[in-house]
Amino acid sequence: MSSTVIGRACFVLAALAATGAPLVGCHPEHSREGIVVLVESVPDSLDARLTLTTVGQRVAQLISPGLVTFDDEGQPVGDLAREYRMLDSRTLELTLRDRLTFHDGSPLTSEDVKATFEGMISRAVPSPRADKLEAIERVEVTAPLTVRIHLKRPYAPILSELSLGILPRSRALPPDAAKQDREPIGAGPFRFAGQLDEEHLLLLPFEGYYRGKPRITKLLIRTVRDQTTLVLELLKGRADLVVGAVSPPLFPALLADGRIRIRSRPGSAYAYLGLNLRSGPLADARVRRAICHAIDVEPLLQAKLHGVAEPATGMLPRWHWAYAKKNGCRHDAARAVQLLQEAGYAGPQAGAEPPSASLASPAPRPRLHLTLKTSTDRFRKSIALVFQEQLAAVGIDLEIRSLEAGTFFNDVRKGNFELFGLVWSQVLEPDLMRWVFSSSNIPGPENAFGGLNRMGYRNERLDEVLDRATRVEREERKQLYAEAQAMIDADLPCIPLWHERSPAVLSARLQEYEPSPHGYLQPLAGAREAAP
Amino acid sequence: MRRLAGTPLAIAGSLLLVSLFLDLVPGDPVELMLGEQAPSIDRQALRHSVGLDRPWYAQLWLFLEQLATGQLRSSLPPFQRKVLPQIWAALPNTLLLTFAAIVVAVLIAVPLGVAAASRKGSAVDHGAMAIAVAGVALPRFWLGPMLIILFAIKLDWLPVSGAESARHLVLPAITLGTALAAFLSRVTRASMLDVLREEYVTVSRAKGLSAWAVLWKHAFRNALLPIITVLGLELGALLGGAIVTEKVFAWPGMGTLLLSGIEKRDYNLVRAVVLVFTLCYVAINTLTDLVYAAVDPRVRHR
Repeated sequence: MSSTVIGRACFVLAALAATGAPLVGCHPEHSREGIVVLVESVPDSLDARLTLTTVGQRVAQLISPGLVTFDDEGQPVGDLAREYRMLDSRTLELTLRDRLTFHDGSPLTSEDVKATFEGMISRAVPSPRADKLEAIERVEVTAPLTVRIHLKRPYAPILSELSLGILPRSRALPPDAAKQDREPIGAGPFRFAGQLDEEHLLLLPFEGYYRGKPRITKLLIRTVRDQTTLVLELLKGRADLVVGAVSPPLFPALLADGRIRIRSRPGSAYAYLGLNLRSGPLADARVRRAICHAIDVEPLLQAKLHGVAEPATGMLPRWHWAYAKKNGCRHDAARAVQLLQEAGYAGPQAGAEPPSASLASPAPRPRLHLTLKTSTDRFRKSIALVFQEQLAAVGIDLEIRSLEAGTFFNDVRKGNFELFGLVWSQVLEPDLMRWVFSSSNIPGPENAFGGLNRMGYRNERLDEVLDRATRVEREERKQLYAEAQAMIDADLPCIPLWHERSPAVLSARLQEYEPSPHGYLQPLAGAREAAP
Repeated sequence: MRRLAGTPLAIAGSLLLVSLFLDLVPGDPVELMLGEQAPSIDRQALRHSVGLDRPWYAQLWLFLEQLATGQLRSSLPPFQRKVLPQIWAALPNTLLLTFAAIVVAVLIAVPLGVAAASRKGSAVDHGAMAIAVAGVALPRFWLGPMLIILFAIKLDWLPVSGAESARHLVLPAITLGTALAAFLSRVTRASMLDVLREEYVTVSRAKGLSAWAVLWKHAFRNALLPIITVLGLELGALLGGAIVTEKVFAWPGMGTLLLSGIEKRDYNLVRAVVLVFTLCYVAINTLTDLVYAAVDPRVRHR
C-alpha cells in the first residue's frame, strides 16, 4: 500500500465533492480484517534496547518480551523465564520455559540470554539502557535452560531490568545487531511482518508463542498524530484499540457512540508538581506544605480525568508492593493560610477572614507570587488553571507559563522554574525514588544536567536509606522504602497529585481484551477478533 | 532569468535563517529524545556522535557536506536514518495534495467569482462574497475535523484520514483549498468587474454575442492574468497550510515530516524540508512567470 499511488480519479472526486455533486462510487467501507491499533507517534525504534519512547517500548515488548514482566503489584514475575531466585545477594538464577522459539524458528536458549545481556554490557549497541545493567559482572550458562547472573555488588533493582527483550544471539552482537532496529525478531506473541510506510507497521500472530498463537489474525499499528483525528477514526470504526493516548475529556464523545468501550485498571503513572527547593519561597517547607493543603485534586479527578486516575500520596501507587501509608496533606485551605502566615507571607489582611470568604469578596492582594511551568498540552494547561484558582483562594498568585516541549524540559533540567507539572509515565521499580530524590542526582555539570532530582532536594538520611535499599532483600527493602516515603512525605519536594491509568479504548471488534495496569499491549495476545 | 539568479540567494538565506533559529530554540535533540525517564546515559557521547556539540555554523557546514555527497543523515543518535528517502516518500504526497487543493480552489472560485461579477450587487453577488469571507475565516484545524465529522462519520462516504486511496484525498484537498478558493473568488470578481467595464466588452455585446460568450470568451480570458498572479503568490501560503492539513488528516507529506523534525529537534531533517520548500517556492514563482507569458502575449515582448 504505497501512499503515493493516487490516480487521476481523485481529482474528479475532489472536484465533484467541491461542487456538491453526489459522490459516485463512494460507499462505506466496513469490511476489513485484523485489528488496527492507533498510536500517537511513530515508534522511534523496534529494538527494545534502543527505543526511548513509550510507543516504541510497547511495540518492542510485543515482538520481543523479556525474562520477566511486571505483575499487577509492580513485582517482577517470570515471562520467558519460568522462575528466578536469588542464590545469594550477588547471584541470580533464572530458568527458562521449555520449548521457547524465536520468530525465525530457532530455539531460545540460555546462550541467547547470555548474548543479549553481554551485547548490552559490551555496548555492542548504543543502548540507553546499558547503564542500568552496569551492576552485572557476567552471565553464566549453567544448562541449556538455566542462566546465572553474577553481580559486581548486591543490587536488588536488577530484577526489574531483566524485562529487557531477549534476542537471538545473532541479533545480540554485531554485525547484525543493527538489524533489530527496523526488522526485529523476538519470541513474542506477534512477529514483525513489514513496515508498509512510515505510518503503518504490520504484525502477524506467531504460531510458536509459548502461550499459544494469538487469535487475532493481523495487527496493524498505525500512527495518527492528531488527537482529534484519532478519536474520529475510532468513531468511524476504522480503529480497534488506542491505549493511553486519548485524553480523558474526549471520553464522553467516544462513549456516546454506544459501541466503543473504555476499560482501565489503576495505573502507575505519577502526576506531580515539582518544586524548586534550591532557593526562593519554596525552599521553605511550610510554603510547600501550604500549597499541598491548598490544592484539592478531588474535583479534578471527577471533572477532568473522568475517573481514570486515583489520588496519589507519593510516587508509588497504593497497589504497589513497596507502598507505605503516609500522612499526606488533606485539602485544608485554612491550614494553608496559617502555614503561609507562619512562613512570613502575612498578606495585607493578615488572618482577617477565613479563606472561603475570599471566593465571594473581591480577591485580596496576593501574599505570594509563584510561576508554574507546564507543557503546551491543552489538557495539562486546563488543569493548571484549576490550581491557579485553588491557590488564589489562599492568597497565592500563580502565574502559568506553558512552554513548548523542548523549552520546557530545558528549563526543568536547568533548575529554571519555581513549580513545574509533569507525569512519570511508569513507576514500577521503587529504586526510581533514588534517581529522583537522592542528592547525588541533582542535575549538574557532573551528570551533564541529566540527573532526575530536578527539585534540587537534599536529605542525607534519605540518600543513605535509598542507597541501602538497593543492596538488601525484599522484606528489608520494603521497610526501607517505607522509611523513605515517610521522609519524602515530610519534606514534600514535590506535590503528589494522582496516579493516571492507561485507559484502553476498544472497538466492538476487539473482544476479551483485559487491559494491563501498565499500559502494555500484551493483552492483545489473549484478545479475540469479533466475527464481522 | 533574473529570477533564476536569485534562487541561490533565497536558498542560502533560508538555510542560514533556519539554522540560526534552530540554534536559538532551547532544548536539544538528545534531551528531548531521552525525555523524562532516561537517567544516566552518556549524553555527551551521544551529542558528539552526531556533531551536536559543534556551533551552529559548523553543523550547517556538516549538513551541506552531507547533502553534496548525497549522504544526508538525521541528526538524531543513535540511528541517524537517511533523510533523502524520507523526503522522496513525502514530497509526492504534498505535491499531490497541493495540486488537488488548487483544482478545488479554481473549481469553486472561478464560477463563484464570475457569477458574482456578472450580477454585481445582486443576491448572487452578496451570497458568493459571503461564502468567500467565510472561507477565508475558517481555520483549517477546525474545518478539517468538521468535514470529517460530516462526510466521513455522519454520511459515511469518505475515510477519516490516511493516504491509502484516491478517496482519502478528497477531504484534505477541500480543507486545504477552501481558503484559497475564497480569496481567489474575490480576486476573480474584482478582475472581472474591471474587464466588464472595458469598451470591447460593450462592443461584443453590441455585436449580439450571447451573454455567456461575452462573459467567458472575451471577459474571462482577459481577467485571467490577475487570477494567475494571485494563484502563484498564494501557492507558498498553500504549502504552509499543508502542514496543518496534513496533521489533521494524518497525510504522510512534507508538513508531517517537518512537524516530526521540529518535535524531535532533528536539525538536518528540518533544514532539508525547509530547503525543499524554498525550492518549491522559487519554482512556483518561475512557473507563474512562464504561465503569464503563455496567457498574455504582451508579456512575452517585454
